[in-house]
Amino acid sequence: MWIFGFIALLVKIGLVLGGLLFVAAYLVWVERKLLARLQVRLGPNRAGKFGLLQPIADSIKLLTKEDIVPEAADRVLFLIAPAIVAVTALLMFAVVPFGTELLIAGQVIPLVVSDLNVGLLYVFALSSLGVYGVALGGWASNSKFALLGGIRGAAQMISYELALGLSLVPVVMLARSFSLVEIVNAQADYPFVLVQPVSFIIFFIAAMAESKRIPFDLPEAENELGAGYHMEYSGMRFGLFFLGEYVHMQILGALLAVFFLGGWRGPLLPPVVWLTIKMILAALVMVWIRGTLPRLRYDQLMVIGWKVLIPAALINIVITGAFIVY
Amino acid sequence: MNVPLTHLLTLAGGLFFIGIWCAVTRRNLIMVMLGIEIMLNAAALAFVGASLRWQQMEGQAVALFVLAIAAAEVSVGLALIICIYRRYRTLDPAKVQ
Amino acid sequence: MTLYSLLFYLLAIIILASTVMAVTRRNLVHAIIYLVVSFFGSAMLFYLLGAPFLAAIEVIIYAGAIMILFLFIVMMIDVDRHKERLFPIRQCLPAIIFGLVYAAVGLMVTFGHSGSKASMPIAVATPNAFGRFVFEHHWLAVEIVSLLLLVALIGALYLGRLKIEKSAAAGKETP
Repeated sequence: MWIFGFIALLVKIGLVLGGLLFVAAYLVWVERKLLARLQVRLGPNRAGKFGLLQPIADSIKLLTKEDIVPEAADRVLFLIAPAIVAVTALLMFAVVPFGTELLIAGQVIPLVVSDLNVGLLYVFALSSLGVYGVALGGWASNSKFALLGGIRGAAQMISYELALGLSLVPVVMLARSFSLVEIVNAQADYPFVLVQPVSFIIFFIAAMAESKRIPFDLPEAENELGAGYHMEYSGMRFGLFFLGEYVHMQILGALLAVFFLGGWRGPLLPPVVWLTIKMILAALVMVWIRGTLPRLRYDQLMVIGWKVLIPAALINIVITGAFIVY
Repeated sequence: MNVPLTHLLTLAGGLFFIGIWCAVTRRNLIMVMLGIEIMLNAAALAFVGASLRWQQMEGQAVALFVLAIAAAEVSVGLALIICIYRRYRTLDPAKVQ
Repeated sequence: MTLYSLLFYLLAIIILASTVMAVTRRNLVHAIIYLVVSFFGSAMLFYLLGAPFLAAIEVIIYAGAIMILFLFIVMMIDVDRHKERLFPIRQCLPAIIFGLVYAAVGLMVTFGHSGSKASMPIAVATPNAFGRFVFEHHWLAVEIVSLLLLVALIGALYLGRLKIEKSAAAGKETP
């Protein structure tokens, strides 16, 4: 019956991708609306009721715009870079579990695209490959501002990846597995945020820096660098960078839910709904932070990463280890 | 897996050869370092293959250490390259004296 | 020809081709990108050879960290990339000598031993088992490697410091 499994896999991939893209489009709308409310504006309100058709209008605009490649750009790398950002962000969802098992026609279908036994490392591998999209996008444009943005982005992402990785070591120690399914299963009694609040905060800050959102948006700082690494991009290639950012927001929410908030667990509602609720909540908190905090200076960014988050994460690992052993 | 170990070793040997060629002939310090990386990677590949062939995890452990050593080597090597570049304004090993 | 061996040969071709492309590039950024493809291919080969943990680590460390560092350096110091003569004759002689010696030894080792002709079995070392093995049998090596990494960290920091003093001194001299 491998045909059945194959079809089930395709359906799962299709549903996950479709859901991700749909939520990404409407996350833009939610962000613009909420940000407008925080700044006492109205936000998008022309296309459809409450501006609900705005994402569709935006995507049609992006798709039909002319795709411009600068004369001096490195053509191939310039064309590949946005795809790297979008693809690595989308692929991360392959290991996120959104429920237990489903029984259809006597076949057991696990509600996860692929339960890798190195799932957590897979997420890290993809996020470290995502750095190439930013760095190459900046370099291949052959423009000073874009190059500066690309270098800043690469430096910021590799610095915070360390803190991100170290903050998850206690979670792996508690769950005794790299598999995301096992990590959710280990939280049957209580979510890990109760025993690992420090890890939770470090992970949230570092992951926000990874997705380059406002207190950490130095690679694309509008008032210094124009638009940073994606300055020379137009049309759908810019759209792919944009899409990557919003999918990244969702994956951040999903990982936060899986590692610290018990994943799909929750009373009454079906598992998928619980995971979505946790994801959206994390995204809303990020929008709220974007509306509240100013941008960090570059030296402050590095100091927070290297002198605050990483030592805190290391101490947290040692304390957790001591608790587990004794 | 119907692949004999010989084929894997040939692949690793080919990679090692390319690495050595790159490290010896290219006249750019960064390319020399890249050649060394290729060689280390080829060695790790051969170790993992041997580990699978004889069903011992020793090979994988050695490959892990190879990766760690490569990371250490690169961090110091690149710092040195930057120092050399600041001093001589070139990356050609023949011009650095 | 099973699916596994098909994948193996496909990956082998990708790895070899991209590595050859990498070492023959004049543009350093292109060389690095080709090498990333090669390392990514090796990571997939590791997965195929039953080492999922090493595959993930290979992508994270090699493709993710080391190559990004190289890319970083290349982007920061804009090297005069068009002046380098690729493969000068003078350097080819030692390369050929090294290559021949290495190839002879390699062929002897590869085909001399009868055990290497048998086809490899399928097995997977789970990360749990692998971690247990490493810390039970090679704990001293782990400690030594971590010490080595610490030394490398301090060394790189020291070299970075040295550079700042140098450039500060140079800055004073020039005006």
